[in-house]
Amino acid sequence: MKYNLWFGIYKDGKVRKSENLKKSFITAHNPEPLPFSPADAGREVFGDDYYGILRKTAIEVCRELVEKELRREDRYVIALVRTLDELNSSINLLMEKLRDLKEIRESEVVEVFEQRIGELEKFKAEIEKEIEEVMRKIAPNVSEIVGEKIGARLLEKAGSLERLAEFPASTIQVIGAEKSLFKALSRIRRGKKAKVPKHGVIFQHPFIRNLPKKKRGKMARFIANKIAIAARIDYFKGELDEKLSEEVRKKYEQLSRK
Amino acid sequence: MSSFQGSEIAHNVFMAEIEGRKRIFTKSAYPPHYGERKVGEYREWIPQRSKLGALFMKGYVIDLGENTRLLYLGAASGTTVSHLSDILDSGIIYAVEYSAKPFQKFLKLAMERKNIIPILGDASRPERYSGIVEKVDFIYQDIAQRNQVEIFRKNFEFFAAENAEGLIFVKARSIDSTKEPKEIYGEVIRKLEGDFEIIKHASLEPYHRDHIFIHVRWRG
Repeated sequence: MKYNLWFGIYKDGKVRKSENLKKSFITAHNPEPLPFSPADAGREVFGDDYYGILRKTAIEVCRELVEKELRREDRYVIALVRTLDELNSSINLLMEKLRDLKEIRESEVVEVFEQRIGELEKFKAEIEKEIEEVMRKIAPNVSEIVGEKIGARLLEKAGSLERLAEFPASTIQVIGAEKSLFKALSRIRRGKKAKVPKHGVIFQHPFIRNLPKKKRGKMARFIANKIAIAARIDYFKGELDEKLSEEVRKKYEQLSRK
Repeated sequence: MSSFQGSEIAHNVFMAEIEGRKRIFTKSAYPPHYGERKVGEYREWIPQRSKLGALFMKGYVIDLGENTRLLYLGAASGTTVSHLSDILDSGIIYAVEYSAKPFQKFLKLAMERKNIIPILGDASRPERYSGIVEKVDFIYQDIAQRNQVEIFRKNFEFFAAENAEGLIFVKARSIDSTKEPKEIYGEVIRKLEGDFEIIKHASLEPYHRDHIFIHVRWRG
């Protein structure tokens, strides 16, 4: 019988030591319980240092795994953003019903209804806060440039932090404006004139919205470039680089002066 | 404080009266891990934070000795593991936790102490870490999951040394929230009885609500 141990392959009472302990640690799977203890076999290989080497390997492997796993927090943010959307439309709908009721007559029931809607509003604020917190943790650079809210929206549209990091800036620029983009593209294909959208989700950023129409495209392109870089830093490194948002601010000031 | 006057109730575990209250400590060369205080070389063990601490406070003491090889399922951020690590000076703790977030904090603990082997993995799939964990003397399980008894048993099948003991914590609500806790405990104990000898079971009131511990010996 052959067994996969964290330090190698065990076969016929002999151990073939692994070239890469981290790799063999991760793949130390066996469908059935082992008829011997890995520590006994291991001491023959490593001597008294067995636990020291095992511990070092375990810590290294776990550190890498934890980091990889934590990146999945992007899925949490995405689920939160979608919940928020659903909640928003529910609140709007309920508000409408409340107004209808109020028009007809005053009643205790209406008061309770109003309170409940207020509670939903509070819950909404809680979700928003949570999104902000997680965004600052998993995407500090994107958050710094466009804010947690727009950042979370970009993440939701991209599907994951990894995908956002892979997107070219030109795609990031028009995320959220897919409908008008594809409409324009199909017009171009048919040889007609078309207006290609200059911005999607990122239009909500005050640096774009507050500029005169003619300059918005330029600013949107600039910001999208910086987001693309920021998303990559967030995904691969995770540390904040303040230079990026500083550059965005400078560009905005320069454009708004002219 | 040099005037620590405690009595050793188990290896490296001390009971002392401080500010008029009975408190429990483990002898530790390491700094606090979860905001507990240190009195001299003794680290307070907060029963509300650790179910094993609660069990000791309630007067049920399991003396693990200093050489125990232990498999810990559900390490979380390592509160209880930190005390077990104090207790087992030359023993070894294999600690499995599934969720990366608390594991981050736990890793810091594992890095400062020599007797902890951290494993980021799913306790319900012992086959995945079967080539890492050796045969152990004790399996400790604190995972509030519906199928936690099956998970417990499966880990014994893989890793129990001869005469191995185990401790399982059962939270009634996470097994079935519609039934009476007493009913659930009865079912769990019946389920365990085939493969284990039940040494002792009791509730963890008032430290943890709707929880019981069951101390068992593997029949193997």
